[in-house]
Amino acid sequence: MTALTQSVPDMEALIKDGSNKSALTCLHCPSRILNASVGTYVEKEFSLPAMTKLKSQTDTENHVLKDFWKVSDMFHFENVGFSHTADGVKYLTCADCEMGPIGWHDLQTKENFVALCRVKNS
Amino acid sequence: MDPDILSTFKILIIGESAVGKTSLLLRFINDNFDPNVSATIGVDFKTKKVTVDGNTVKLAIWDTAGVERFRTLTPSYYRNAQGAIVVYDVSRRETFNKMQLWLDELDTYTTKRNIVKMIVGNKIDQDTREVTKEEGIKFARRHAALYIESSAKTRDNVECAFEELVQKIIQTPGLWEASTNQAGTISVSQNDSSDGYLPKCGGWSCSLA
Repeated sequence: MTALTQSVPDMEALIKDGSNKSALTCLHCPSRILNASVGTYVEKEFSLPAMTKLKSQTDTENHVLKDFWKVSDMFHFENVGFSHTADGVKYLTCADCEMGPIGWHDLQTKENFVALCRVKNS
Repeated sequence: MDPDILSTFKILIIGESAVGKTSLLLRFINDNFDPNVSATIGVDFKTKKVTVDGNTVKLAIWDTAGVERFRTLTPSYYRNAQGAIVVYDVSRRETFNKMQLWLDELDTYTTKRNIVKMIVGNKIDQDTREVTKEEGIKFARRHAALYIESSAKTRDNVECAFEELVQKIIQTPGLWEASTNQAGTISVSQNDSSDGYLPKCGGWSCSLA
């Protein structure tokens, strides 16, 4: 398993008063994930499996990410999917095309974290 | 919770394997997506926002994700659901023959006696139809369920199915509670919509059977 660190360029432009300045949509389809100002910016290191892998590949690469939008309640999303529980968390996906993980759901605190680099900050 | 949300509904999608339950839920397919690449995770449930007749509701939609093959759906899967979409494949009669079992199971485990049921005959784009529309309508009528025929492939009636179900849930008294921050205002719109059932999509496909 490899770990790659990814960061978001020009992050300041995406944040307004600590929240997401614009609505978030899926990178792969037009599905709207979160409305503007609903997420709170948090810096937190977390390792997420890669969005895609080759079908021939059995192992999944992990990426260490640190920029997230925190969403306190799962029903604050416009549209989002939750994976089955794996490694003690539920991963978040696009509700329409199911691409992901775009973040994770903490089963203890019920908080949700969406990776800035895995959604379109339109 | 957003102030404009009426309520949250739990919706189940059940039926035999490979009748197209999951594709009913997948609205956008990315044509540019490389077929040699697959998504790394499977989905347990989804929350989606829909607006029907000016009412916005959140849906928590539960798909069986293939475990129905082993008949391992647990009572908790059914608990507190306000709506159930029961799907068969019009081109495979054996999937229609199993519908009674699915409805029996639903009746056994449901915790809400007036849960809204919708029967969906899927895959009408296939040439080899084995179950007629009339059979489907008759079956749905016998179970006091809504009926619709759809094609997840061509997207025919798919949006309609969810809207129809939501409309019926909203109109069913005692099946749901308004979001707490809406308590004072919601009774008005509930009364407004309780005076008659008007099929949203019109025609045979959406009629209350």
